[in-house]
Amino acid sequence: MSFGDFISGYSVPPNVWDEMWKQGEIRPQYKLFFDSLSQDSLAEFSRKDDLAKKLFMSQGITFTVYSDGEGIEKIFPFDIIPRIITAAEWSHIESGIKQRIKALNIFLRDIYHDQFIIKDGVIPASLIHSGAGFLREMVNVDVPFNIYTHISGIDLIRDSDGSYYVLEDNLRTPSGVSYMLENRNMTYRIFPGLLPKNNVRSVKDYPDLLLKNLMALSNRQKSDPTVVLLTPGIFNSAYFEHTTLARLMGVDLVEGRDLVVDNAKVYMKTTAGLKQVDVIYRRVDDEYLDPLIFNPDSILGVSGIYYAYRKGNVAIVNAPGNGVADDKSVYPFVPQMIKYYLNEEPILKTVPTYSMDDPEHFKHVFSNIEKMVIKKTNESGGYGMLMGHAATEKQVVEYQKEVEKNPRQFIAQPIISLSSVPCFINGKLQPRRVDLRPFALNGPAGIEIVPGGLTRVALREGSLVVNSSQGGGSKDTWVLG
Amino acid sequence: MLSRVADAVFWMARYMERTDNVLRVLRTNYIASQDEIQNFDWQLWVDGLGANGGDVKTKVTTYREALFHLLLNKDNDTSVLINIVRARENARSVQDYITKEVWQCMNDYYHIIQDKHTEQLMLESDPVTAIDSLLRESVLFYGSVDVTMSRGEGYTFLNIGKFIERPLRSLDILELKMLEMEKGGNEAMHWKYLLYSLSGYEFHTKQYKNALQMNEVIHQVFMNTQFPHSVLYSLQQTERYFKRLGSISVPEHFKEIEFLIGKSISNLKYGMNPQAGTEEVKSLIIKTRSEIKTLAHKLATLYFGYS
Repeated sequence: MSFGDFISGYSVPPNVWDEMWKQGEIRPQYKLFFDSLSQDSLAEFSRKDDLAKKLFMSQGITFTVYSDGEGIEKIFPFDIIPRIITAAEWSHIESGIKQRIKALNIFLRDIYHDQFIIKDGVIPASLIHSGAGFLREMVNVDVPFNIYTHISGIDLIRDSDGSYYVLEDNLRTPSGVSYMLENRNMTYRIFPGLLPKNNVRSVKDYPDLLLKNLMALSNRQKSDPTVVLLTPGIFNSAYFEHTTLARLMGVDLVEGRDLVVDNAKVYMKTTAGLKQVDVIYRRVDDEYLDPLIFNPDSILGVSGIYYAYRKGNVAIVNAPGNGVADDKSVYPFVPQMIKYYLNEEPILKTVPTYSMDDPEHFKHVFSNIEKMVIKKTNESGGYGMLMGHAATEKQVVEYQKEVEKNPRQFIAQPIISLSSVPCFINGKLQPRRVDLRPFALNGPAGIEIVPGGLTRVALREGSLVVNSSQGGGSKDTWVLG
Repeated sequence: MLSRVADAVFWMARYMERTDNVLRVLRTNYIASQDEIQNFDWQLWVDGLGANGGDVKTKVTTYREALFHLLLNKDNDTSVLINIVRARENARSVQDYITKEVWQCMNDYYHIIQDKHTEQLMLESDPVTAIDSLLRESVLFYGSVDVTMSRGEGYTFLNIGKFIERPLRSLDILELKMLEMEKGGNEAMHWKYLLYSLSGYEFHTKQYKNALQMNEVIHQVFMNTQFPHSVLYSLQQTERYFKRLGSISVPEHFKEIEFLIGKSISNLKYGMNPQAGTEEVKSLIIKTRSEIKTLAHKLATLYFGYS
């Protein structure tokens, strides 16, 4: 089978940037990949596709959906064709994310201490204080090394002109990094020898970099501080990720019931008695962290943990209260933050955003609803949003009523036409829309980003929603050296 | 090691050992049921191995129904399928502690027992092939544990779980076999099938030489320290692994458990009548089982008492 047969019928919609295809030609980074596979038949691709599914299932790289007391195993759909990013593109992304994380981290320090950015009129105080992400309990709390954003996942998309935009910042408990690692493992199983041939940069350092940063946060003068990963438990949809990271870092995976606070110190219950914990990489949301301070009904957290944190006896990663910085209504102010704190021009673009509590914006958005997407400021995972071009008139009217009830909780953005990549679907190559979530690690030694990330793909034809909860899948992400 | 993790590893091992034992006994029973002229009493085994804990007992009329109930019935709390699900849930909660190989083994086991092909073999075709494929997964599990797991606390608790569960199963199977015998049939054949169920028939023929006699079979099941399914062998292994916890244990806790294991071993070694009759053996089964259960309970209180 010739390559021509393989890609026949690959048709990119108008005004969409395709990562592989450029005016009837294949971009050089994809040419090398497909040249390496020129001997493979279509049947071989289908076999690889089946192999990948089988491997995911047998390795238990699944999430469990519980219904009627019975667990149903599901795999996060994986497309075998990698998404390829050139060295130059990556360099741009990397510097842009570093700049952004730096500014957001300073913003968090500022907002929980002196609030210069409010006093200087760059961001309105009402916006900060009305957001659910602002934790009054964090005011004047000094965090180790002034780092709040230890682990961030920045969602990037690419518009029709090829430029990268930040879609949203995830500064609380971003997930997906285990899929970045497992997708890479899958690639070398199904495409043996291809990674070195294409000069793909490795992502396997991630757990080591993370552990190094976590250990550095310990307040005790010990060479081997106790680091744990706090999970909500096996029923959490990201539980696979928690176990993967704990295993790769060699740290204990604990649940709230494994920890206890005594005399403002956190201990874990072991077979040999209590053992003090120095650093907690928590995958439990702020709200559930400490029932004495936040949600009193929480059984996922630990009573008194927040007090131990304020006393400096334990480090919690990411810092509580980061929700104020990744609030969708604060998002449009990030370029100003970059200018204000760093005196630099933003490297990555930001999608124009309309605040729904501004009457002018409200009117503009609903008059041009077919070009708009409206999102809740505190939701993620693709929940609670309205895509104007796909909504019925009735849905728009109902949504408008919702917005009118509490406009502060909504923002609107013009629909950005996500870039497309080739996917192997139903035995042929078809373009599907993607975003990209690189993971940045912020430690005492600076910000590091492993060359790669999670490419999420909207597997439904024509869909722009990449979230796994809404029919999305993922791909391996190659950054070329 | 986290108490919760130790508990989960301990129970994972117990469920896996239980599964292995039940599969072996069902394999033997199925073959026995095909080989005999008289009707095999499956109801006795369903009541003994597959009791749901409630008052309502499941009635079976055919061997297929019995196999389905004991192996694949999701509503039977003690079926092999439910054992595997529980073992896997325990493994899932300590995935970072067991090795990737052990986890994958556990996971494969789970998918194989849920496979339609396994069910079809079990219910419509040759159940022995299906049971053999499951037993192969069991052996793979033990092999993966042995080859890949570090000899730390996790491995120790895993083995303690295994060797606490094993004598309990041997005693249960012996008790059920004795009940079956009371209903008639060739006594030697019953003893033979008992030994097959415990993977001990070939060993018996080599070790004891005589035709199958009750006292020798009872000796093998209780006392023979070369027979890996004997009660004494399992208790000695429990003691051997438990002693490894000495350096990390709270001293009083360690002493308490050490005493209980030692007492059970001594009771067997010095308290058992080599010429015991049926009734005496039955009382010994009850007494020994109770001692082992007390030991397991104490271990849970002193080492896994995390909540």
